[in-house]
Amino acid sequence: MSMEETNFEATHEFFDMWVKTYEATFGKVSEVPAIGPLREKSEKISKGFPLFFSLYSTWMDTVADFQNISMEAMKRMNTKKINLEDKTGTESYKELYNAWMESYSETFKEFMRSGHFSSDMGRFTSNFLDVQKYNREMLEENYLKPSNLPTKSDIDELNKELYSLKKQVKELSGRINELSGNK
Amino acid sequence: MYELSSIEKEYNKLMSGFQIFLKMPEVSVDTTPHEIVYTEDKMKLLHFLPTVEKPHPVPILMVYALVNRYYILDLQPDKSVVKKLLDDGFDVYIIDWGYPSGLDRYLTLNDYVNGYLNNVVDIVRKRSGLDKITLMGICQGGTFSVMYSALHPEKVKNLITLVAPINFDTQKGLLHVWAKNLDVDKVVDYYGIVPGDFLNAGFLLTDPFRLMIDKYVGMFDRIDCKPNDEACLIRNEEIVRNFLRMEKWIFDSPDQAGEAFRQFMKDCYQRNLLIQNKMELNGKKINLKNITMPLLNIMAEFDHLVPNEASIPLNDAVSSKEKEMVVFPTGHIGIFVGSKSQKEVCPRISKWLTPRSGLDEEGIPDIKIKTSKRKSKKELHEG
Repeated sequence: MSMEETNFEATHEFFDMWVKTYEATFGKVSEVPAIGPLREKSEKISKGFPLFFSLYSTWMDTVADFQNISMEAMKRMNTKKINLEDKTGTESYKELYNAWMESYSETFKEFMRSGHFSSDMGRFTSNFLDVQKYNREMLEENYLKPSNLPTKSDIDELNKELYSLKKQVKELSGRINELSGNK
Repeated sequence: MYELSSIEKEYNKLMSGFQIFLKMPEVSVDTTPHEIVYTEDKMKLLHFLPTVEKPHPVPILMVYALVNRYYILDLQPDKSVVKKLLDDGFDVYIIDWGYPSGLDRYLTLNDYVNGYLNNVVDIVRKRSGLDKITLMGICQGGTFSVMYSALHPEKVKNLITLVAPINFDTQKGLLHVWAKNLDVDKVVDYYGIVPGDFLNAGFLLTDPFRLMIDKYVGMFDRIDCKPNDEACLIRNEEIVRNFLRMEKWIFDSPDQAGEAFRQFMKDCYQRNLLIQNKMELNGKKINLKNITMPLLNIMAEFDHLVPNEASIPLNDAVSSKEKEMVVFPTGHIGIFVGSKSQKEVCPRISKWLTPRSGLDEEGIPDIKIKTSKRKSKKELHEG
């Protein structure tokens, strides 16, 4: 198979088909209303499925993009004229390394400058944080709360309270200093 | 035979590099003698001990960014912006913002600019016995200094900005491009305190192959000595030490106070409000036209983090009559630690600032100084 003919369109196509099939079949399960004594818990658990799916989906997009760009970098390296004549031993390896570094570095930088990469990374970060948040909520729900341990929101609440108290103290100290003519 | 000997040579080079790494003691940074003159929460104000008998009356307050640490300005004696300015007769202060923890997640930009920075300016004014001081802001610290100078122009005599972003609407810097698509609310709401590693990953992605591979290959490549060449071995040790100092600084990335990060990213990077005079701190609009003091705006031509387009519009946005713009052929970090820094950047700052720092041509103060708390060089060095 020649490199010119290689691309990841087929990967994309296959993955798109997989996504559509999932959404039409198993994906629907998470939308089914929960019933029974464990209704609340199972509803929370089923809310996680679409989040995991979205993350997986954006991750696959990112992987395919990076595969494409690696292939492009390899093509560019192939077009470089690397002169290995008169070079022996490690010098020729160095020549190859320099050509590899230049091709890959420039191609990746070009890709990362694109709006496509920027929006993909934004989407990936966003989906990643959704999953992290969900995991944390489940951990708090299932382990911390039953063990009577403080959750992230408990700690945030305390931090907020401390922040406002410290701010108030600073303001009052400033006013006292002003009134006593120290400032 | 020749090939084998060249492979052996490269192997020996690699091994000697490893040997230097193995016996390398902890590298030192931030070596210029200083005293801590003020602390507030995690923030500290450092005052560097003067190296001349009579420093210029108007002190310099350096404001570094919240990302990464201030000691890039005092990395090692021969690569220290601080030391060079001290030797040129300036009285230098610098803010160490510290490492925010969960307790600081609700700190806002207003707390940094109108709180910490304003308090520090007041301390420096009081110590120098002057109403106005020189503010030198670097990178994000430059943005803060511009905000501060617009809000409190009566306290700033001179403003110097180094590689400071003011206009965020540019496609030249990768961070500017990426920031537009970042869901800042989600990041802050999840982390609270935004991890320094999260931001560092972004910086590394600006040039991943060079920053994560080639830099290290290059370091080992520079180690090349003939056996028993003592002078060369010492030189190699210095190469490794300098490299490790930079590594230490690059990966010494404090976490970011969430609310301050949220406003900085949204108002500056995403909405570009500062240059349009639409940004607000504590309900008060920041009008750059209020900046009337002399301005020196310094940029690096090959800056990959703060492109020149992000800094140039500042000069047109202010009302200052005396304003200069200088571009040096170096990078964002090179401007502090590169070869141009000591030879060109610092001398340029000194040349511009000396006539504006309160001594006339004969070295006599040309400004009125109130009772100063400043100690003499002898008193300071005796502790």
